[in-house]
Amino acid sequence: MLLIAMCMIFLFNACSKKEEKQKVAVIISTLNNPWFVILAQSAAADAESFGYEARIFDSQNNTALESDHFENVIASGYGAILFNPTDADGSISNVAKAKAAGIPVFCMDREVNDVNAPTSQILSDSYSGCVTLGKVFVQELNKKGKYAELLGLVGDNNTWSRSTGFHSVVDNYPDLKMVSQQPADFDRNKAMEVMETILQAHPDIDGVFCGNDAMAMGAYQALLASGSADKIKVFGFDGADEVVTLIHEGKIVATGMQFPKVMAKTAAEFADQYFKGKRDFPKKIPVAVELVNSVTVSNYLNNN
Amino acid sequence: MRNKMLKYLAFVLLFGVIGYNSVTFKSLSAVNAVRSNDAFDAPSYARKFWETSLTPAVLKSVSLNTLIHDLKSKPDSAFSQYSHALGIGNIRYFLLKGEGSVVAIEDNRVILKSSNQDVDSQIRLETEFVYGNAVRDAVGTIHLTEFTSTADLNQVSQELNKIIRSEIVPPFLKLVKAGDKVQFAGALELNRKYFTLDKIEIIPVSITIQGN
Repeated sequence: MLLIAMCMIFLFNACSKKEEKQKVAVIISTLNNPWFVILAQSAAADAESFGYEARIFDSQNNTALESDHFENVIASGYGAILFNPTDADGSISNVAKAKAAGIPVFCMDREVNDVNAPTSQILSDSYSGCVTLGKVFVQELNKKGKYAELLGLVGDNNTWSRSTGFHSVVDNYPDLKMVSQQPADFDRNKAMEVMETILQAHPDIDGVFCGNDAMAMGAYQALLASGSADKIKVFGFDGADEVVTLIHEGKIVATGMQFPKVMAKTAAEFADQYFKGKRDFPKKIPVAVELVNSVTVSNYLNNN
Repeated sequence: MRNKMLKYLAFVLLFGVIGYNSVTFKSLSAVNAVRSNDAFDAPSYARKFWETSLTPAVLKSVSLNTLIHDLKSKPDSAFSQYSHALGIGNIRYFLLKGEGSVVAIEDNRVILKSSNQDVDSQIRLETEFVYGNAVRDAVGTIHLTEFTSTADLNQVSQELNKIIRSEIVPPFLKLVKAGDKVQFAGALELNRKYFTLDKIEIIPVSITIQGN
């Protein structure tokens, strides 16, 4: 009788273990930006569609908090991390910790400056997207005029990929003069304040290039308030619904459409393949960014 | 007292040894020298790619007339057969060749009409805005695994485009006039989900004016 009872207990435990789902952590830089909310929710939903339990962790743009999330995830037995870093250098140690614990990390949208630590990095081709925007910018301003640039977070490689891509075109036109380049941290409210300050010093600019759409919206709000929205051309990056609508209305000139759902889905697929034994993932995969302007905008209305 | 002094001395020596071995000092110039030696030589890479990959690939590239026909009649197959891209997504690149007559010379491009009567697309040879990844990716021989740095990959495109802006376009623009018959090869970017064929914008990699 005792032997039968022990066998039954053993079988019961074995069955319970089989029903325990693998856990996937989605660690996101910030949920204060709608774009990242889409990225996080898509990643979690995709992981769940593969049969895994998923949970979202918000790092609030704080590398120390991100580190706490990693400690928590490692201690709690998560099997994979779908990761959107807060800082290209500062986040490396967190990824390395997960790797040392045998947990694969798939970076989404933002990269860390270490090719070996993450299992794979799925990134928008920000540089190429901004090369295209740079071409449109030069043509819209007829190769001459003054402009300002609003940069994103200085610790995020995307900030520099976008700026470098943009300047790789625009800097070839000496009659286009950048009168101000300021960081606004990818934040709408900060962008509005920065734009207001720029306008006080340079009310006669012809265009503003913003490293993301949240900043483009903030800049546009500042231009509206100053009565110069009709004169100064605004460019963004992301493909946010609000900006796509304003492009359709002729109020913002262009943006680069990113595909957070594609990045999230690819990361979740990779995690699933990892759980099933695959190990040879490409270290980096660029995801093409598509131009949204007056010519193409009808393709992208309601894209998100 | 003496034992205490010896103990403190031993601790100081111990921490000194550990500290000395934990930190390495290098002059900034030495670090920069190593960095520049390891730096990716994008101009050389681009030149070698141009000569050993791109030029042979142009000879085997699809004709523009065939490409347009296939894009209209069987677009999925045309994208699958003729296009390449390093990343994932809808943007794809084609390497092609063709010929046409010059109908207009504009500030940013030269416009051709195809010698094929069935092709009503306006062919635009871009002469000003030669930027982007079309030439790098259209050949299909560069692989992501060759590069650890995204910046190096981007520099390849920049250097290829510099070759076109400095060596391909200027001699052409010096001689071309309306009515000239032109043979060309180049790269075309299309969005496989949203493409149109009324204006075909080609980044040229070779242009020959017939009779010159």
